[in-house]
Formats: sequence, C-alpha cells, structure tokens
Amino acid sequence: MSRSATSRALRAVAVLLPVVALALAVGLGSGAGAMSLAAALRGVEPDATVLFRLRIPRVLLAAEVGAALSVAGVALQALLRNPLADPFVFGLSGGAALGTAAVVILSGTAVGAAALTAASFIGLLPVQLAAVAGAMAAALLVFTLGRARGQLEPTRAQLVGVVFNSFASAVVLSVEAVLKPEQTQAVLLWLSGTLGYEAMPLLAGAGVALLVPALVLIALAGRLNLLALGDEGAAALGVDVPRTRFLAFFAASAAVGISVAFTGLVGFVGLVVPHGVRLVTGPDHRVVLPASALGGAAFLVLADALARVLFRGLGAEPPVGAVTAIVGAPLFVALLWSRR
Amino acid sequence: MSTLLDARDLHYRHAPGAPEAVAGASVRVVRGEVVGIIGPNAAGKSTLARLCCGLLTPQAGEVLLQDVPLARLSRRDRARRVAFLPQHQPADLTFTAREVALMGRAPHLGLWSLEGPQDVERAAAALAEADAAPLADRPVAQLSGGERQRVFLARAFAQDAALMVLDEPTASLDLSHQVLLVNALRRRARDGGGAMLVLHDLALAGAACDRLVLMLAGRVLAEGTPAEVLRPEVLSPAYATQVDVVADPFTGQPLVAPRIAR
Repeated sequence: MSRSATSRALRAVAVLLPVVALALAVGLGSGAGAMSLAAALRGVEPDATVLFRLRIPRVLLAAEVGAALSVAGVALQALLRNPLADPFVFGLSGGAALGTAAVVILSGTAVGAAALTAASFIGLLPVQLAAVAGAMAAALLVFTLGRARGQLEPTRAQLVGVVFNSFASAVVLSVEAVLKPEQTQAVLLWLSGTLGYEAMPLLAGAGVALLVPALVLIALAGRLNLLALGDEGAAALGVDVPRTRFLAFFAASAAVGISVAFTGLVGFVGLVVPHGVRLVTGPDHRVVLPASALGGAAFLVLADALARVLFRGLGAEPPVGAVTAIVGAPLFVALLWSRR
Repeated sequence: MSTLLDARDLHYRHAPGAPEAVAGASVRVVRGEVVGIIGPNAAGKSTLARLCCGLLTPQAGEVLLQDVPLARLSRRDRARRVAFLPQHQPADLTFTAREVALMGRAPHLGLWSLEGPQDVERAAAALAEADAAPLADRPVAQLSGGERQRVFLARAFAQDAALMVLDEPTASLDLSHQVLLVNALRRRARDGGGAMLVLHDLALAGAACDRLVLMLAGRVLAEGTPAEVLRPEVLSPAYATQVDVVADPFTGQPLVAPRIAR
C-alpha cells in the first residue's frame, strides 16, 4: 500500500481496460437479432447496418453514460461526505423530469408545438435540452438553498434535493393524469432510463463534452481527499473549500445533465460502481475516479447487454434503468454486507 | 524573519450581534519558542488559534506570518507557513494512517496533487516522529482516540510549516505521548520552528511552554513566563476557582492544583 497514487491509478487502469474491452465485445455481440461480425465487416446487409448503426452507437452511449454517472457519483459522495449520495438523490432527476414533462405539455399547445418544431428544425432535441436545463436548474436550486453561512452544507443540500425530488415527482404524476396514454408511456420510459441509438457525431460530441467535467474532477481528486478531513482540516491544508465544492458540484451536475439528456434516468450506476471500486482500491480519489470511470462504462454496457439478452424471447426489452436497479440494488446490499 | 506569528489586536464575533469571542487579543510567537494559550472555557482560545491560521478572518486587527500579512498570502503559502491541528479529528476515515500523513504534503504538491518520493519519505518520518509508524497501514477508523490523534499529529508534522498551532493536542494522549509531543515541539523549536498550543492542563503548560498567555472573555489577561502567569492570585480570579500553586520538588516548575473541599 505504500505505492504512490500514480502507480496505483495506473495499475487500476491497466486492470480495468481489458474489462471494458471485454464488456464492449459482449455488448457488441448481443442483441435482439443474430448478426455475423464477418459479414458486417464485409459490408453485407443487414449485418453491416446492425453493427454500425445499431450496436456500436448503443454500446458507445452506454460506456459514455456509465462512466459519467460513476464519476459524478464519486464526486457527490466526496463533497457531501455521504456514501449514499447519488447523482439522483440531489434533485437532478426531479429537475430533469420536470423539464421533460414541461416539453410534453407544451407540445400539446399550438404555440409550444410551433416552438418545438422550430427548435428541432435547427438540430436541437427539445426533450433532451429541457432535461439538461431542468437538471442544471435543480442543481443550482440545491446549491443555493443548500448553503448556510456562504458554504454548501452537505446535510442541508441533501435535504433540499430529496424534498425537491418528491415535489417534482408529484408534479410529474399530476401531469401524467392529463396526458394521452402514448405520451404517458413516453414519459415513463424516459424516466426509467433507456439507451437509444444516437448518430455517431452526436456521440463523439457527447464524449468530448463529458471529458471536460471528468478531467476537472480528476484534477480535483487530491482536494476531494482532503475534504474527508472536514472543512476546517481541508482549509488548514490550503484547500479553497467553497471553490472546490462549487467546481466539483457543477462538474458532476454537468456530467449527469449530459447523460440524462441521452438516456433519461439511469439509477444506481453512480452508487454501486464507486462503492465496488473503493472496496478494491481504497478511498483515494486519485485512484477511485479513473477506476470508476472505466468500471462504470463496463457496468452499463453489460447491464444493457443483459437487458437485450434476457428479454430476447419476449420480443421486447426492459429499460436499462430498470436493469441497473434490479442488478444494482442487490449488488449494493451485498457490498454493504461484505464489509460489516 | 525571526517572528513566526504576530497577531495584533484581533477582534472576532461568530455572528453579527453575538458577543465578541476575541475582543482585542494580541499574541506573538518567535522562532525557538513554544507559547501556551490557557484560560477558562469560552475565553476565546480556540477562536484565537483559528484567527492566527487564517481559518477565520478577524473583523479588526491583523495577523502576520513571518512578517507577511495573512491576507496577502495564498492559501497554499499560508499552509506552508502554519500547520493547524484541530481539537477534534474525523473518526470515520477509511484512509490509512500513511495516507493521512501524506495529506500533510498537500500544500507542497502541484496541480494533479501527486506525491513524489520525497513526500512519501517526509510522511514516513512524520509518522515516526509522532510514534505512529507501526500504525501506517491501518485505516484511521480502526484506531483508538489516542492513536488517531498521533496520526493527525504526524499529518501536521509532515506539513513542514515553521509554525505549528495545536488546539488541545494532549487531550486524548497518555502521559508518555504527552511527553513525546512536547519533546517533538521543543526539538522543532530548537531547529528554528515555533509552536502555539491551546492547553487546559496547566501543569503541562508550565512544563512545556516558554511563555503563557492567559485569556479571559476574549482578552489577554496575563502574559509571561510560566512562573509569572501560574500564580494563585492570577489564576484564581480568571478561573473563578481557588487554586494552589506549588513548586515541583524535582524541577522547580509550578504545579497547579484546584482546591477542592471534601
């Protein structure tokens, strides 16, 4: 254990990269229909379309979102000093849901429909944008109301997040009462988290956009360690505690917001992956953050593969958010149990 | 550069309208000196210690660290000049003792906060200095209160700041480790460092410190050598308790005892 943080981080990455590669292979190989890799690579249809238009984009999306949610989970757990902090206990999910609900309602009115048509005409995706806006607005709300004496107070912020989430889900429930059944279905599917098939340029853009908050958080890793000493202990070691909290909070919120825009609310990833990683690596964030990014990517790719394989016979598949919860909840309990 | 700390006429209240916790206190620490801050509960000792480290900002008055005003120092610069050990340490850390000691190197690290071999060496030396080397690979959460205190002491040592400000450092330490701490601080003072300790144990204060500052209600009531401050006519009114002071038969140091009728 006396190895330096650099060498431990590198070792974790060296161990996890093959795991991610394996997960990607499994993800690419499993799907609703049969596909021949050789045929796809030779450009034979429909295998080529399945591989390049469906499987690769979907697996990439799962990897990106899984990594982003895990990194955000690590950051939130550190800055709230609460191991149960999760990207979605913070009001972010409630905010995103409100944003989506607002768009769905607006699309029912003439003015709203026109505005949405205009937005999608210039290449913007109204539902996703509303989700990001909602999540970021919720983050801002939690950050503002969660402060006391000019500082973010962990318990306070968490209370605000939980209360806001309950409020938001009540509003969404009320809205659903007045929606048409197919609209309700769309909202429900989105709320439970689904992986779709996005265009490659969009995926590349999301990857780059997610790299920024991830790098910010990895640069903050040493300071996140010091936060465990308490605000005063960290400040005495030269950490600008309010600024570190602010940066980490908004980097995490941005990562969650971007993820939510593509997939809706995929829960449990940001909780289970960091806890599992810490069991192996210990609490040092300089190791935990990169390891969680890779572990999260592998986790969500595999969860998505599982969703597709398990329900192949039924001709339908459950939302990936349901699978992460079904797999994640017992896994989380097992993790807790294993280190009583 | 011989003055490590020069705090001048500090005033601080924790909230507008609250009484002043520190009401015009001044304290100096020069190189080679161990200074003790004593006084009854709520005298403003801990607040004064925090003001001197820049953890609180005085509403009036000024703090100079090695002749530079605190306000002009960056946080990292400040942490390289003064190490602070709070009274209570977090008990639930999953970090190992070694990792906590390495945290003391934080003000010396670059953007990505990665330690080099010399930092690892300094942390190991600091653990040895605090008699915590055998604990190095144990998670702090599994340690006893006194062991934990030594680990955090090692963290403060590893910081390599000329001035150490310690709030009640001996409260959870057994006798032999109290002596070890005092010896370590005295050794650092001889090497050109200095320390300011908040202490409740007046006998230890007399034995450990070159100078004592007695505080009451946010002000400095008396200041001087232990022999000058540890006198019944000074202490009894400050603590509102009748105290006796006798000379240690072996060292001549003043020993303070409250008079308890029974």
